[in-house]
Amino acid sequence: MEKNSAMTVFYLKTDKNPKAGVSAFLGRMLSQSLADAVLVSARTPHSPLPMPAVITDPEKIEAADPLAPAAPFNAARQAVSILRHESGRKIVLVLRPCEIRALVELVKLKQCVLDDAVIIGMECRGRMETPIYLEKAAENPDLTAAFYRDPGLQDAVCASCRICTRFLPQAADIAIRVIGEPTDERIGIVPQTPAGQDLVGRLGLSEGPDSPGREDAVANMRDLREQERERAFQETAGKTDTIEKFQKYVAQCLNCYNCRVACPVCYCRECVFLTDVFAHDPQVLMRRAAKKGMIKLPADTTMFHLTRMAHMAHACVACGHCSSVCPSHIPVADIFIKVGNEVQKRYGYEPGRDLEEPMPLMVYDKPVVE
Amino acid sequence: MSAFEPKIIAMVCNWCTYTAADLAGTSRLMYPHNVRIIRLMCTGMLDAKYVLKAFLEGADGVFIGGCHPGDCHYINGNLKAARRIPGIAAILEQFGFSSERLELKWIGASEGPEFQEHITRFVETIRALGPSQAATAMIL
Ligand code: SF4
Ligand code: SF4
Ligand code: FES
Repeated sequence: MEKNSAMTVFYLKTDKNPKAGVSAFLGRMLSQSLADAVLVSARTPHSPLPMPAVITDPEKIEAADPLAPAAPFNAARQAVSILRHESGRKIVLVLRPCEIRALVELVKLKQCVLDDAVIIGMECRGRMETPIYLEKAAENPDLTAAFYRDPGLQDAVCASCRICTRFLPQAADIAIRVIGEPTDERIGIVPQTPAGQDLVGRLGLSEGPDSPGREDAVANMRDLREQERERAFQETAGKTDTIEKFQKYVAQCLNCYNCRVACPVCYCRECVFLTDVFAHDPQVLMRRAAKKGMIKLPADTTMFHLTRMAHMAHACVACGHCSSVCPSHIPVADIFIKVGNEVQKRYGYEPGRDLEEPMPLMVYDKPVVE
Repeated sequence: MSAFEPKIIAMVCNWCTYTAADLAGTSRLMYPHNVRIIRLMCTGMLDAKYVLKAFLEGADGVFIGGCHPGDCHYINGNLKAARRIPGIAAILEQFGFSSERLELKWIGASEGPEFQEHITRFVETIRALGPSQAATAMIL
């Protein structure tokens, strides 16, 4: 996706209700037949927790709540479920930056095609862990609006979001701008590609100058996140810099593989850990027990985590969902994001940055940068 | 306590380094007995799991030997292996395994003396590094 050098900003009025502002914006795409469907995080009838939903009826769009600080999973997976092959229907996807990054990786891995898709990316202040979101939503029925005005609520986002420096939706056709914007009055809509321009152009939004303080707000947020990230990386390194320490770090792991299921870039239909490769013969287990006098079952916990890293660390989009789903509350993402960062540096690769950037192990004629 | 003898796992390509090892043997070239050789049909089949498993089972060093670029019998398996290694090494380093413990070299079928040389040097490097932390740790 090409970038425009001069970014024009259009504004949506929100009247203290950014959720309604965004859903009206998406609704117009459906009612003007500019989109056949919108995939967006939306409230379902029985819970305030937004779930990815495919909405085709403009009447139903008011459920859309992409700005809510919640994401029960990385929606790139759900996006893939409707983009597996060309459909001839124009689908607008509203995603977070880490979801777009995962989607870009999944396109490279030939899991889906983007031919029919227009991607709207939201600037992301983070998501709360689901139990925290539900608690806050029970206290505050208008949590989405409150989240953007209340720094206290913003501090309640999950550990991975607090160290995320890629909170702008880089590879999106259209960005929803909330950082440094008075979200109770307006939020910005920024077309970033020709496809985005075309779509926004048909909606008759009014242009405006950049909000004062916008750039500083982005720079401050990036600085804070970078500091926080450096601190977190050091802390995690201290806890994992020997194999014994790492084993202590994952000591409560149940080998449930939820982390792998939640990971958007762990895309194999059948994980090697579910195959006969790791369904050892009893003799093998006995032999391994005899070697050190004892073996923990299920076996291969350390092997599982290291192998998963070897398979996907170069593509880790730092979404944090592996931590969110761990029943043993192991900070899985802290170590995966850190190792991912190291591996990505080694290959000079940034997952999700650009559809045209080949994945590190798909090219072999290039020497590896050190 | 007896002196430290490193345990080295060498995963080598059938067509080149394995043949070189054979040649070193038939030419009666001496090389350290610390090496356990595992034959691969091509370094292109080197799976990260093999390397990780070797280290977790207590190998002090892992040596990979493949055909020189351009000589791989499967065209580019060796280049793929070469691309994989830095990622595996980066992961191992995070958990305290020095990247010097994992090495990839191109050794052609006729290079028996080179095999001897590389293995001797690698064993010395590992000897100087000392035993791997996983040699005694219980791997869970
Ligand atoms: S490893 Fe964890 S943080 Fe990285 S992409 Fe997968 S789920 Fe997200
Ligand atoms: S989700 Fe947690 S308990 Fe389950 S396999 Fe992953 S780290 Fe282990
Ligand atoms: S055949 Fe020797 S490395 Fe491929």
